[in-house]
Amino acid sequence: MDYVDLIFAMMGLSALLSVVATALAIRSKDLLNAVIFSSVQSVAYALIYFLLLAPDIVLVYVAVSVGIYPLILILLIKKVGRYETKQNWEQLKGGDV
Amino acid sequence: MDIELVRFMFLLTVVSFYVNLALSIYGVIAKPNLVKKIIALTILQDSASIFAVLVGYKLWRPGLTLQPPVLTDLTPTSETLKEFVLRSVDPLPQALVLTAIVIGLAVTVFLTTITLHIQKHFGTVNVDVIGRLKREEVYEEVI
Repeated sequence: MDYVDLIFAMMGLSALLSVVATALAIRSKDLLNAVIFSSVQSVAYALIYFLLLAPDIVLVYVAVSVGIYPLILILLIKKVGRYETKQNWEQLKGGDV
Repeated sequence: MDIELVRFMFLLTVVSFYVNLALSIYGVIAKPNLVKKIIALTILQDSASIFAVLVGYKLWRPGLTLQPPVLTDLTPTSETLKEFVLRSVDPLPQALVLTAIVIGLAVTVFLTTITLHIQKHFGTVNVDVIGRLKREEVYEEVI
């Protein structure tokens, strides 16, 4: 097995991993889980950027997309509430809104 | 170099990016929660920028090893520059994508601030509930 084959095999497998992580991130009701799955997708994309011969993008992308996005989104989730619930209109009207 | 495997894996990669693009557009449009919309928007942004990097990629030929667009020679002669142009991938989409990632960070921080203000004003981040609340406000003003 040549190293070119290895490069393309790693690219295809990490692209598949990113599809799975994206589907789970869109689908999950728990927002914290969604943030974690989106950072898994970002790790796969960082590997693909490296294999596409763009190492200077990887330096920025890992810091921004695995570090800062989850930090901001977790702080937002702490204020907003963790679970994506289907709020009942009557219950909301009788509540504290 | 097994050309069939390389073709299959490259096709798999491109199809996966298209699937990611479709999934994240679905998330932006169909999910009612604003935080979920922001997460899907970041994935959409990354998928779009990885397509731009993919445009600048070069075809592997037997006997040609590609290299990143970094010139390590401080005083290059014309032969080394010719060799560099033959081997390196296109650096222009990479520069654009680098800018796009940083701008995307600023946009995400801005959207986060707006979401916090919406949470303070309406008490919820569900878009359906916010629409109903706004309709109720307008209705009460008319009455």
